[in-house]
Amino acid sequence: MSRKYLLLILSFGALLAVPSVIHDTFFLRIITEAILWIGLAISWDVLAGYTGYLNFGHGAFFGIGAYTTALLMKLCGWSFFLALPFAGLAAGALAVIAGIPTLRLKGAYFAIATWALSRAIQQVALVMDITGGPDGMRLPTFLHPDFFYYLMLGVVAAIFALYWFLLEKAPFGLKVKAIREDDQSAMSLGLNPTWIKLQAFILSAVPTGILGAIYAYWITYIDPASVLGDLVTDQAVVMAVFGGLGTLIGPAIGAIIIYLFKTYFWAYLSDYQVLYLIILGGVIAASVVFLPNGLWGTISGYLQTRNAVKQKPVPQEKIDKGVHHV
Amino acid sequence: MSEPLLQVNAVTKTFGGLHAVFQVSFHITPGEIIGLIGPNGAGKTTLFNVISGFYAPNKGQILFNGQDISGKPPYKLAVLGIGRTFQVVKPFAGLTVLENVIIASFARHPKRRQAEQHAWMILETTGLADRANAQASSLTLAGRKRLEVSKALALEPTLLLLDEVVAGLNPTEADRTIELILSLRDQGITILIVEHIMRVIMNISDRVVVLNFGQKIAEGVPRDVAKDSGVIQAYLGEAPQ
Amino acid sequence: MELLPQATVDGLLIGGIYITIAIGFSLAYGVMHIIDFAVGEWIMLGAFLGYYLNLWSVLDPFILLPAIFLVFAVIGYLIQPLVYRVISGKKGNPVLMGLVFTFGLALMFRGAALTGFGFYSHSIPSAISQDSFFIEMGSVFITIPYVRLAGLLYAIAITLVLHFVLKKTDFGRAVRALSQHREASGLMGINAKRISSYVYGIYVGLSAMTGVIIGSIFTLNAQMGGEYTILAFFIVVLAGMGYLAGVPWAAFLLGLVQSFFLIYLNPSYTLMAVFGILFTILLISPKGLFGRGV
Repeated sequence: MSRKYLLLILSFGALLAVPSVIHDTFFLRIITEAILWIGLAISWDVLAGYTGYLNFGHGAFFGIGAYTTALLMKLCGWSFFLALPFAGLAAGALAVIAGIPTLRLKGAYFAIATWALSRAIQQVALVMDITGGPDGMRLPTFLHPDFFYYLMLGVVAAIFALYWFLLEKAPFGLKVKAIREDDQSAMSLGLNPTWIKLQAFILSAVPTGILGAIYAYWITYIDPASVLGDLVTDQAVVMAVFGGLGTLIGPAIGAIIIYLFKTYFWAYLSDYQVLYLIILGGVIAASVVFLPNGLWGTISGYLQTRNAVKQKPVPQEKIDKGVHHV
Repeated sequence: MSEPLLQVNAVTKTFGGLHAVFQVSFHITPGEIIGLIGPNGAGKTTLFNVISGFYAPNKGQILFNGQDISGKPPYKLAVLGIGRTFQVVKPFAGLTVLENVIIASFARHPKRRQAEQHAWMILETTGLADRANAQASSLTLAGRKRLEVSKALALEPTLLLLDEVVAGLNPTEADRTIELILSLRDQGITILIVEHIMRVIMNISDRVVVLNFGQKIAEGVPRDVAKDSGVIQAYLGEAPQ
Repeated sequence: MELLPQATVDGLLIGGIYITIAIGFSLAYGVMHIIDFAVGEWIMLGAFLGYYLNLWSVLDPFILLPAIFLVFAVIGYLIQPLVYRVISGKKGNPVLMGLVFTFGLALMFRGAALTGFGFYSHSIPSAISQDSFFIEMGSVFITIPYVRLAGLLYAIAITLVLHFVLKKTDFGRAVRALSQHREASGLMGINAKRISSYVYGIYVGLSAMTGVIIGSIFTLNAQMGGEYTILAFFIVVLAGMGYLAGVPWAAFLLGLVQSFFLIYLNPSYTLMAVFGILFTILLISPKGLFGRGV
């Protein structure tokens, strides 16, 4: 366990030093975006892997964060940091509205409804005047790659830490897992499944909206295709599923691999961008069939079985005293 | 006679026009073990689901400690002090045995550390402590049934509803479970038990309620009920246990 | 006001087509408990096969229907064991994995179609594409294009055939038994795997065939799938998941919503309205309009 922490802290430290080492803005941009995708993949996994509900409209929450920021900054003349929390709020409010009727039901309904929701919002953004329709919106420019790198790193690290605490350490994590495993049993043990699922949905949506806000200010131009399009959802799904559902590290690894692959692919094979969809779909389908626990789940499962041989049983006297901690 | 802990008043539950449970009434006084028996499809599990809040009754009323609980959701009843097991066991398969019980302990001990300590205590009582770190999915049927009981117990219930926790166990395991049930009663927990195995019901129950085709056909101490002609008839064709 | 009859007729004509999509989808759900996110993609692929077959053979799309059904029924039959493997897996959450899997399939199909067929929209010409007949009653004047009428008749015919198969044949009884009591029917000696494969084949074939009809009435392109997937979900949820008898009503309702938005309001808001209705139904009666879903 402690080795895992050390690794995390070390990589965070290394990431802090990146801008002082890499002065090439192109590479800095790639790393910034990779970090963004880590955030999007883990926030999707909060609901999918931990809670067992597939949000096929994850992009809608990203997009609503981006559009909220753009609208507040352009129409109300707010500063970015004033608009940022409202981007999170808007995404959270959308989660509440979409979640209340659907989270009472089986996961299939939720998957369908969130997908339809994202399509509907896409359409609204395309036809409304205030959002600029298909032309999208331009935000006040702030060209400062280092600033955005640190902002993205800080926010994603904070999201990661928050999820780590809530899902791996605090009671909340066990509660959502209980609902994922068997909601009837969870209900008979005093847990209100709809309420807990709604909390998980909000926990997934708010950071996604905030990431959308940062993305919008960073790229300075948003349109329905870039922030509300299916690709945001598709990529988050493939990253989490390929990396390993129900963990934080898995989707983060998945995000890095898939994002780097995409960057490479689009740079060298830009004429065949649609091929990328085939690959995304293929990776999802193949992961489900051949790596149902994802890359990380498979690796850590292998490590666990290897360690299990060495593990000592719990000493009887500790059990008797009732003081044993795992 | 003390105030009843649970009062079931003329409860009816219908599914698509069929009466799964029809006008059933009985009560449980604190400290009792009540056996609920009847042939297959008699409505025992449905009645369980009504009492534990999984179904709302179509008619009738359920009082727990004098409070009307009919139609309240299961998670509220759990907090009020009604614990239940499921006939088809429902472990949180992907989690460890300990985690399973910690989740149940949160109802009384919201802090993780206290919940964990409490869970260890429960596992000790139910004899699962040595399997605490195993995946729940790795347990045998006997272990899973024990885990069901452990989870329900972790709620610190005043009323415990046990749905077929002995059926399917070998005689040694069955005896251990019966011992456990009796010791829980001695700790002051009131128990309503559904069981297929007559020997178990007749030995441990203070009183027995018999259902057939959704209706109560008899109630009383085991010895009298066993002689009841209606009960014998209801069981005709069923293998004697 | 004189647009009202036309809007209604249009709605019913469109709605008919959706029946076939949703019935296949509902059947597959009933038997395999799978929500197939690739339903729209099957429609799209069927439409493209129809388009190219028509170009190559110059046969009318309506004549090509049986061939297209057959091709895709075989594809569905062959792909089903893979789907079955995913949804009956021991590890993880099979239902969740089934959803993810078909989501992946849908992406693959869409990508493949974009790669192979490009971004352009086409339509499949039929001999009856250009003609309509008219109904005139006083001030009311209704146009009915033959091709739309043929689409509706096709849908009705398919519905009747399926109804007959499900009610009267041994295969139909087995399908119904399977969708009602999965475990019990396994004990009764019904080969669940085999029947699931047939049903999946029928579902994929039906969807593809309907794609051809859609392609000859409207247009087809590689990105059309997503919209039809949503519409299929909409109908199935409105009807009640797995409740076949509710499907026609839900399909007609969707057709009416679409045609009214087209004629009276802004068609760009159709999806929003569809979502609004879906949302309301889920909020008030998650088992569908008739409360009979599972």
